[in-house]
This record gives sequence, C-alpha cells and structure tokens, in this order.
Amino acid sequence: MTDKEPVIRVENLCKKFGPFTALNGVNLAIQAGEVHALLGDNGAGKSTLIKILSGVLQPTDGTIFVDGVPTNFRSPRDASAAGIGTVYQDLALSQLSSVTRNFFLGREITIGSGPFGVMKIKEMDRITHDEMQKIGIDISDPTQSVGTMSGGQRQTLAIARAIYFGARVLILDEPTSALGQKQQMEVLKTIRRVRGLGNIAIILITHNEIHSQLVADRYTFLSLGEVIGTGAKDELESRDIRRLMAGGADIADLAEELAKV
Amino acid sequence: MSEASGVATSAAQRTESDRLVKHGRIRALLHRPEIGAFAGMAFILIFLAIVAGNVVYNPLGIKNNHGIISQLGIISIGACLLMIAGEFDLSIGSMIGFSGMCMALMLKWGLPFGLGEATPMAAFFITLALTLTIGWLIGTIVVRSGLSSFIVTLGFLFVLRGSTEVGFRTFNQGSTQISGLPDFKQTDWFAYLFGGDAFKWVFDLLFSFGWNVNRSGDQWVPGLDAKVGWWIIIALAAYFVLSRTKLGNWIYATGDNKEAARANGVPVNQVKIGLFMFTAFCATIFAASQVFDTNTADAAKGNLKELEAIAAAVVGGAILTGGFGTVVGVIFGAVIFGLVQNSVFYISWIDGSYYRVFLGSVLLVAAFTNENIRKRITGGI
Ligand SMILES: Nc1ncnc2c1ncn2[C@@H]1O[C@H](COP(=O)(O)OP(=O)(O)OP(=O)(O)O)[C@@H](O)[C@H]1O
Ligand SMILES: [Mg+2]
Repeated sequence: MTDKEPVIRVENLCKKFGPFTALNGVNLAIQAGEVHALLGDNGAGKSTLIKILSGVLQPTDGTIFVDGVPTNFRSPRDASAAGIGTVYQDLALSQLSSVTRNFFLGREITIGSGPFGVMKIKEMDRITHDEMQKIGIDISDPTQSVGTMSGGQRQTLAIARAIYFGARVLILDEPTSALGQKQQMEVLKTIRRVRGLGNIAIILITHNEIHSQLVADRYTFLSLGEVIGTGAKDELESRDIRRLMAGGADIADLAEELAKV
Repeated sequence: MSEASGVATSAAQRTESDRLVKHGRIRALLHRPEIGAFAGMAFILIFLAIVAGNVVYNPLGIKNNHGIISQLGIISIGACLLMIAGEFDLSIGSMIGFSGMCMALMLKWGLPFGLGEATPMAAFFITLALTLTIGWLIGTIVVRSGLSSFIVTLGFLFVLRGSTEVGFRTFNQGSTQISGLPDFKQTDWFAYLFGGDAFKWVFDLLFSFGWNVNRSGDQWVPGLDAKVGWWIIIALAAYFVLSRTKLGNWIYATGDNKEAARANGVPVNQVKIGLFMFTAFCATIFAASQVFDTNTADAAKGNLKELEAIAAAVVGGAILTGGFGTVVGVIFGAVIFGLVQNSVFYISWIDGSYYRVFLGSVLLVAAFTNENIRKRITGGI
C-alpha cells in the first residue's frame, strides 16, 4: 500500500504570517483509499496546512505533488480542479434552499449555457438522491430545505457533493465537532463508506482521539507548526496517540501542570 | 426482554424516508409559502364584490384596478428579486421620477446636445441606458464598499429626487412638470407599446356580449392599459428565471449564504449588481408607461413607491435577510395593495386614508408569517 505513489505529497512546506511561522517544513503523504488523521493541539497549524492544500493560502516555501507532479494552487478553483474537495466547518450550504439546489450550486446541469441556462431539475433531484444514498443517507425528499436536515445529514450532503464533483482527496476539518453523539456516529459511518469506495483519500482533522482511532488508517501529529510523529494505525499505541495529540507532553506532566495552578 | 428487543429492531428497520410524511396535492398546496397572500387576496376580492361590486367590477373599474395593480406589480417584482438576493433598493421611487423626467424632457425639447427631435423610441432607450448605468453604479458601490444597501440606496433616493428637480428647472424653463406632450401613442407604435391598450379582444368580446356598453350604446372601455401586459411579461420572465434557471439558483444562494455561494463558484457580486440594474429597469418601464399614457411628467412622480414595492415583496414572502420569496407571492401582494388602494376611493363610506392603515397592518401580518416560515425551515435559529 505504502509503496504506491501518494495522491498528494507535500515536501518541506513552510508558511509564515509576517514574523510568525505557522508551518515549519512539514512533510506529508496521502494515499488513496486511506483515512489520514491530522492531529494536534489548538494552533498547531492544521487548518493552515489544509488551507494551503485547498488553495486558499499559498505556501511561503515547499512543494505540493499531485500524483507525483509538482503543482501550484493559486486559488481554490485550482485545487478543486486537481481533485481536492474541502468540506469546511460551516459546510458552505444555504439553509433555505433545497437539498438538490445546494448539491448542484454553482455547477447546475442545464439546457443551454450561461446564467439563463434552464436547470434539468428532475435529473438533478435523481442524482442528488442517488449520490446521498451511496454514502448511506436516504433523503426522502430532495426538495426539502437543508435547514430541516440534521447536522450529520448536512455533513453527508457536503461530502457527497465533493465526491460527485470529482474529489479524489477529501479534506474534512473537524466534521464531528459541532454534533451530538448519534450524528457524530453518522458522520463516522459516512467516512467509512467513502473509504470503502477505495479510490478516495481522506484527510481528517479532529480533536477527538476516539474518533480518530475508530476510522483512521494513518496518523500525522503536528505541534507548533512541525510534524512530531507519523505512523500507521498498527504501529501506534493509544498512549502514544494521546501523548502526541497533546503536542508531545506526557499526561503526567499535564497533571503536574494542573496541580501548579 | 422480548419487548425491549422488539423496540430495538423496529427502530433499526426504520429509515430516514419514513420520517417525512408524504402529503397529498392539496396538503402540499396549503403548505406553500404564498398561501397567506392568496387567502388575503381572495378575501379582498370577495369583500369588494359585496360592498362595491357594481363600481369595482364594472369595465372601467376593472381597467383602473389593473392599471394601479400592474404599476405596483412591475416594481415590486424588481424589489422582490433583489430582496431574495439579500439587498434592498430604496431608490426605486426616485428612479421613476428621474426616468420620467428624462423621457419627457427629450420628448419636449429634443435630444441632448442639439441632436434634433427625439422619437419615443430614442427617448426611451437613452433613458434606459442612463438608468441601467445608475443601477450598475448603485450595485457596484454596495458590493465594493460592503456598506448596507439600505444606506447606499437611501443616498440615491435623495440624489435622484434632487437631480430630477434640478433637471426639470434647468432644462424646462424653471418648471418642475411637463404636461400636454403630443399624444404619441396615437401616431407611434413604440409609444403605443407603453401607453396604448392591451387585451382589447377581451373587451371587444365583452362588448359583443352587451356588457361593456356606455350610455350612448357604444363600446365603453377599449381595453386594459399596456402596462398590464408589461407586468405579465416581467412576472412570467421573473418566475421562469427564479424557479427554473441557473441564475435563479444563484439569486437564492446569494441571499441565503453569500460565503457559501461564493465558495461554490457563484459570481455573487455580479448577481447583485445585475439585480440592482433590474430594479432600475422596472422603474424605467413604470415611468415609460406613465409618460406615454398621460403625456405628462413631474418631479414628484414615484414618490414613496419604493416602500409600497417592498411591502408587496414582503407579502410575497420575501424576508429582509434574503434567500426566500416567490414571484407568485409578490403578484398576490401587488393585487392586494393595488386593489385596495384604488377601490377605497370608490367606496364613499370609507375614508381613502384607510389604505395606508391597511397597508401597514397587512405588512406586519405578512412579516410575522414570513418569520415563522423561516424559523420552521431553519429549525428556529
Ligand atoms: N492569517 C493569519 N495571520 C497570522 N497568524 C495566523 C493566521 N492564520 C493562522 N495563524 C496562526 O497560525 C497558527 C496555526 O493556526 P491554525 O489555524 O492552523 O491552527 P489549528 O491547528 O487549526 O488549530 P485549531 O485546532 O484550534 O483549529 C496559530 O497560532 C494562528 O494564530
Ligand atoms: Mg483549525
């Protein structure tokens, strides 16, 4: 598995915000069909890293390889053209519009081109329903408003949309953080099903150790802008994971620190 | 034990689609957001039939009602689309006065820069080019500055009204009105498009059935005002664009969640600028139908019309935060307000000023209803 060419590889990635170094020489390889958990404390640089991968920010230094080819993302459009689909925390959905209208927003199927192109609503409804079902959610009515869907269903909608429009790399930034227990489970199931498709790589950012252990195949730990550890699931023990997630500090140290307060 | 497992399996077998009850056609119709406006309109129609049916529903009453309704209808469609996209235009009324002035000045005093006589067509298209440019300017200022469109268009409300008065005084020998223009609609097909009659065949038919007859036995009313035709065309076009086209999807998305729309590649700024130009277009059509119908113009034309247009849009389900509203609803809204505004003057025992009381009350009821619908959809946020 690991000797395959990674879909995305970053080498020596640096990002400076003026005098502040947010990322300092990060290396990372993402394989198709794997869930790669990106873990680290608040401010470690996770969001900065994925913003670079999705074309929102430009790196100060370093290279991104897509299928082994060095690539420059000048805008989010470049990144999504290269097959990188990002599901942001706010999901980029409009609540008052229907599921279908959201699914196809900006990429409507139309007869005739230009803004006055007429939407093929029947076909769009059918595709939306089928694509959502593929990753496990049977929406009864594609004309229902997104505002009436649960948080987990919305997450699934955003994921289904990214995949349908050609994402080979799916970036999920804390997809479970705002959800209740049951809906967190729903999202984890969705991640599993997407992984099961086999050809899609998933980058999962989470602060939840249990979630990462449930679905991740590989881990990368960031701390203060640098990679402090990486490894496949079977190479790491949960104690290591917990320690690395906290930025390398031992839990005992944390307890000591707490005691000092 | 067996009971507990029974509950568990039935819960596991239920799917998401079981949770949404499928309703029949009629239930679905009753749940449409326009149903309140429709009920209001039906009530008004019946009420007027009872208290003043003979004057409101005679041929002349029908013509006059439709004139007022369609005028309001034209601008409220523009206001509604813009509100769905999350913006506001308070300059519609002043734009009506301004474009009426431009057309009438050219028709009376000739084209600018001494380029000779102005035909109705030239006067209309030069004015339209000017108003579309102003619409574009308003839209550009709103999207570039990030200022609320409420403030920007309030500015243009004053600027345009003032410019209209100054324009009249400067180019019309100090007078702020023009009357007695030649009756272009008799001689010019283009002027007839705006000032002439529409649906003449219906009124011819009514005459042949012996209803549309005046005291001397001739045909009484020739037809509806041409602006009724414009209202229908603009409404059909707006309905089609909003519900069927890509642009319609963009308009809703722009008003609902601008950042989401932008992230999905929707040209949010162009959508907004285009809609500011569309309200300017609607105001120009309003003014043209007034100028070519009455052969007059004055600096106060269109005063307060922007607020009536916004009120009709609210009755049509539009909410101030954007993302919601329908053309069908705004048509009902225009019918309600137009009908009442015109009819109260026929009914001697009702003080005409009750129109404003009525307008305000209906506006509040509609706003409450819309808010409830929005809460139902977004789960109460
Ligand atoms: N535009 C910016 N300008 C200056 N500093 C920034 C900017 N964006 C991020 N930073 C800084 O870079 C560091 C990394 O931020 P980042 O958002 O990547 O952290 P994170 O790992 O995603 O944290 P969290 O878990 O809280 O989401 C932080 O210290 C942050 O303050
Ligand atoms: Mg973050």
